[in-house]
Amino acid sequence: MPAQRPQRPSNLKRNLWIASAAALFLWASLTVDVDITDLASLPAGLWAILSEMFPPDPAYLANAVPQMIQSIQMAWLGTIIGAALSLPLGFLGAKNVSSGLVSSILRQFLNAIRAFPELILAIAIFIPIAGLGPVAGTLAIGVHSAGTLGKLTAEAIEGIDPGPVEAARAVGGRGLQVQRWGVLPQVLPELIGFWLYRFEINIRAGAVLGVVGAGGIGFLLDQTIKFGRWPQAGTTILVVIVATIVVDTISGAVRRRIIEGADVKIMPEAEVLVDPALAAR
Amino acid sequence: MTAAAPASRRPAKPRRSPFVSVGLGAFVIITLISLSEEWGIGLDIGSLLEDIGRGLPIIAQLLDPNWDFLPRVIEPLIETFQIAVVAAFIGCAVALPITFFAARTTVPNRATLAISRGILSVVRAIPDFLYALIFVAAVGIGPLPGILALIFFNVGVVAKLLSETVDAIDTGPIEAADAAGSRRTQMVRWAVLPQVLPNYVAFSLYAFELNVRASTVLGFVGAGGIGFLLRTQYQFLQWSNVSVIIICLFVIVFAIELVSIRLRRRLV
Repeated sequence: MPAQRPQRPSNLKRNLWIASAAALFLWASLTVDVDITDLASLPAGLWAILSEMFPPDPAYLANAVPQMIQSIQMAWLGTIIGAALSLPLGFLGAKNVSSGLVSSILRQFLNAIRAFPELILAIAIFIPIAGLGPVAGTLAIGVHSAGTLGKLTAEAIEGIDPGPVEAARAVGGRGLQVQRWGVLPQVLPELIGFWLYRFEINIRAGAVLGVVGAGGIGFLLDQTIKFGRWPQAGTTILVVIVATIVVDTISGAVRRRIIEGADVKIMPEAEVLVDPALAAR
Repeated sequence: MTAAAPASRRPAKPRRSPFVSVGLGAFVIITLISLSEEWGIGLDIGSLLEDIGRGLPIIAQLLDPNWDFLPRVIEPLIETFQIAVVAAFIGCAVALPITFFAARTTVPNRATLAISRGILSVVRAIPDFLYALIFVAAVGIGPLPGILALIFFNVGVVAKLLSETVDAIDTGPIEAADAAGSRRTQMVRWAVLPQVLPNYVAFSLYAFELNVRASTVLGFVGAGGIGFLLRTQYQFLQWSNVSVIIICLFVIVFAIELVSIRLRRRLV
């Protein structure tokens, strides 16, 4: 056979997808209740806000910093609660540890938890129980994190090398002993990476929950911006940005140090997103 | 992770690195401070268990949804969906060019890279509802500030995820493009983009999912969608109505996740 340029594969399917996506976008942007001329006021509005925000009010640091620390503490404890709950859930949700039926039920349960944002968990469950304040926010963060972390943990456990598990069984290890010595050491560095990653996300959640009175700096953000106290709002926003970047940087460095030598997973969620085998579960 | 080679004698236990001790110490101290009444949030399991009864009447109402309220939920729910769609499309379109200024593979200049990554980490450090608050103040309440807020939020998420993907691509095609004399834009178009396109679509779907979830928060500050209705019903303590909203939201989030997982599986 003489060398021939191969035929171009059909693009029909791909083009259909693109066309339907474009149609969806057109429908949404044409029917959404937005007056596009409002956009004209955006530059002037933003400029007015920014020019009033600068210079920020340094005296307001005395209010903003303690509230930001509270947000970080909520994220910290919420992550610990989430990690503690996710360990048993993750082990039981892994097909190679528990039975197929138990693991599929647990996986659906974890998916269900993940579908409730922290804010909903806070207003519907934890504020009624614990009252307004950071405790409600912390518990909301903890439960939501347990959903995500449990899923990631189960996936990590399903990816282990079965060798050590067999070895632990062969030397007479029973139930929990096999998990403790055959499974846990294999996944622990990865799990700690997930926990730190979740902590970084929870910092952001810890800032939001104040809007509903569940503790943290969100309350100050809401109040200062709503009442147009711009220099104070500027200070608060700067505190949020600086604190978030500092925590991200430290946590990222620790993660890199812990999984040194292994594949550094900067964002485990991204890994799950692009790996079809993981995404399918 | 492979098992170590078998040794004839039990090897000495390696000494614990100082990093671990310092890390554990810091962990315990931060946790204790955070738990304390005085310096932290004052989390006390004992009193929490006593209080659990307080929430029961509300939870009982939540378990008894008022389905007559359903018609009023539909319209804001559609608005939530529209906001999420528009913001995801625009945000992901904006994120694509930005990505190539924030990835090591495509930006040889260190200074440019540092600046664009710095800007991206600021964009990511601002939570979605803070964007919403600012845009509500700038253009007034309604879905427009919600869309603007989610655009920024999506640019941050997608550009971050995608630039990390670009950093990890196979450099062979890039060398080939360079060797064939392509310019930088041509190199990005023919050597980089084809490698990351499936990931880009996957991240965009993920951003869309995040948008639907974020809509609860947006409405709370007046940026359109279902959150506004949630806020009013919550403030008037209409728990049976709140329950209907939560169930609808749950169904839509779950459905979108299912569809998006299917799509992603076909893509990658």
